[in-house]
Amino acid sequence: MLNTLISGLQIVLTPSTFILIFLGTVVGVIFGAMPGVSASMAVALALPFAYPMNGVVAIAFLCSVYCASITGGGITAILFKIPGTPSSAPTTFDGYPMAQRGEAGKALGYSLVASAVGGLIAAFCMAIVSKPLAAVALKFGPGELFAVAFLGLSVLTCLDNGNLIKTILSGLLGLFLATIGMDPQTGVARFTWGSNTLLSGVEMIPVMIGLFAVTEVLKQTAKRDKKDDKGSGMDGQMDYKTTIPSVKEFFAVKWVMLRSSILGTIVGILPGAGATIASFLSYTVEKKISKHADQFGTGIADGIVASEAANNAATGGAMVPLLALGIPGGNAAAIMMSALVLKGVQMGPLLVQNQPDYLSSVFGSMLITNIIMVFVSLAIAKVFAKILAIPYSILGPVIVMLATIGSYALKNNTGDVVLMMFAGIVGYLFVKLGYSAAALVLGLVLGIMCEENLRRAYQIGAGSWNEAIFTKPIAMVLLLVCAAMLLFPVVKPLFAKKKAE
Amino acid sequence: MTLDLIFSAVLLVFSIYCFFFIGAVDNGTATELGAAAWPRVILGLMIVLLAVGLVNMIRKKDGKLPISAEGCKAFLHSKLLIGMVICAVTAIVLPYIGFIPTSFLFLAAYGVLLGERRPQVLVITGVVATLILYIIFQGPLSIFLPRGMFFFRNFALTMESLIGMIPGL
Repeated sequence: MLNTLISGLQIVLTPSTFILIFLGTVVGVIFGAMPGVSASMAVALALPFAYPMNGVVAIAFLCSVYCASITGGGITAILFKIPGTPSSAPTTFDGYPMAQRGEAGKALGYSLVASAVGGLIAAFCMAIVSKPLAAVALKFGPGELFAVAFLGLSVLTCLDNGNLIKTILSGLLGLFLATIGMDPQTGVARFTWGSNTLLSGVEMIPVMIGLFAVTEVLKQTAKRDKKDDKGSGMDGQMDYKTTIPSVKEFFAVKWVMLRSSILGTIVGILPGAGATIASFLSYTVEKKISKHADQFGTGIADGIVASEAANNAATGGAMVPLLALGIPGGNAAAIMMSALVLKGVQMGPLLVQNQPDYLSSVFGSMLITNIIMVFVSLAIAKVFAKILAIPYSILGPVIVMLATIGSYALKNNTGDVVLMMFAGIVGYLFVKLGYSAAALVLGLVLGIMCEENLRRAYQIGAGSWNEAIFTKPIAMVLLLVCAAMLLFPVVKPLFAKKKAE
Repeated sequence: MTLDLIFSAVLLVFSIYCFFFIGAVDNGTATELGAAAWPRVILGLMIVLLAVGLVNMIRKKDGKLPISAEGCKAFLHSKLLIGMVICAVTAIVLPYIGFIPTSFLFLAAYGVLLGERRPQVLVITGVVATLILYIIFQGPLSIFLPRGMFFFRNFALTMESLIGMIPGL
């Protein structure tokens, strides 16, 4: 732990890396505060900047963008009742009423400090948990690793409260896309139809950029079909006093902050669950256990703290499965993972053991980012009212061009731009028809891991499924958890119906 | 609902086609899963789920036609379709005309689509945003953006030499 801390600080406090983290924080806060730019999209848009960096610096930079964008989302949620990121939606419940009372500075203060505390607690949890988890994971054979990857997919279906069939279909489509190209074991071509471009497989980054950036711009385009463009929806005239809460006021919400940070970290660790679920869950839990539950929604500090501490803690949590198991905890982590894979980094339990610099770098970056983002956010919040006056007719196309560069720069190949635009258009249809883009991304990311380990396990088991998986206790437990996760949404309404009868 | 039906049907047909056309010889043995095994499991599940979804959708339709003329007309005249076309055209023309013209034309065209009507704003934002992106990525980040062909290539080379003259880039 201490070694990780020292090594992390050594990495992030080198002048060049520190400047990059600082810039990442500024960019992250700005992107996060922009309505329509989610944290995943912020990380995706920051990708081309990370291409020339080495892997350790790149992950520190992307991590700073990720953490800061979640925090930035709270600024517009409080000032304009427009959550910059979906995870900041619960912040609007109490943040905006507080701002309306003339206490915007106070609301921002609570939001930023809670974000920082949540982020710092999650960073320490990540540093503590990642190594032991990776050590346990090292004992895993292909059967267990297949079960872990499958767990990553099944958790998502359980947490999705929309159309279960469509969510599973989305995940399957992602798994299918991951099979396109050369078979990793035997080297034969699959679904390439003679195309050399498809032989190298479907690149994850253009697909993700398309799904998150282009789809969002198309969504905004469709929204504007029926109404005139009135800028980003803000008039740029919001005033607020910069009186931040006193130490005594912060101490009054210390338990809310602690509970929400721990809850956010745990939710973040679950593959598929992200900052949005963390913030909504934390807000609901605090409302349920609070002595003054009736005041929630009227502009109470507890509501802001619960939401912001949890969503930032989820960022640290999401890094745990990424670093320890090679499984992304959410969309932004999936994008970071694909960036590292691009750099030739071998993801999985061995990463933390053989290249501890990656864990140290993420840890150091999270520590520094969570501290400096408080000051950066306070400064940016003051000018943000004016930035938000930029009309979407300018902002939207610029986002698409950034996405274009991000996809092209991957391999200097315009074919990836075509793939990104195609993914963006299909992604819009996905959203419109109620499919889950997050499930597709997870399927795409986990597909290769699932297939490789399943086939290896079968080979080691000499063609016997018993030897491959069913006689492995850890794999069986994990698969039973998977089955429970998959069946839970199906069984739950039946139980509810029976109870009602 | 209509779009959902079409999307599911197309996906179902595509999945069935892919199930039979893996594009690789099924090279599995008694102790080894072949290249076709895993994709077929996925596609098989997709086919079942898509069929279930389609049956559910058709049951709910109550004999109404799946495609309405009004719905099609509204989509064909929507900004969304134009936006999709602009995005697709941008991706296609990028290797031919290069980054700078593509970016400028895209920013202007999409700006108009999103409601910006003032030509001077479109031109200024198009030029400024393109130059900022070009200088940042072509300069300090050393990402060589597409140059295009023929005249556009010469234009891109001229721009690159101009950027090279800026101290520090």
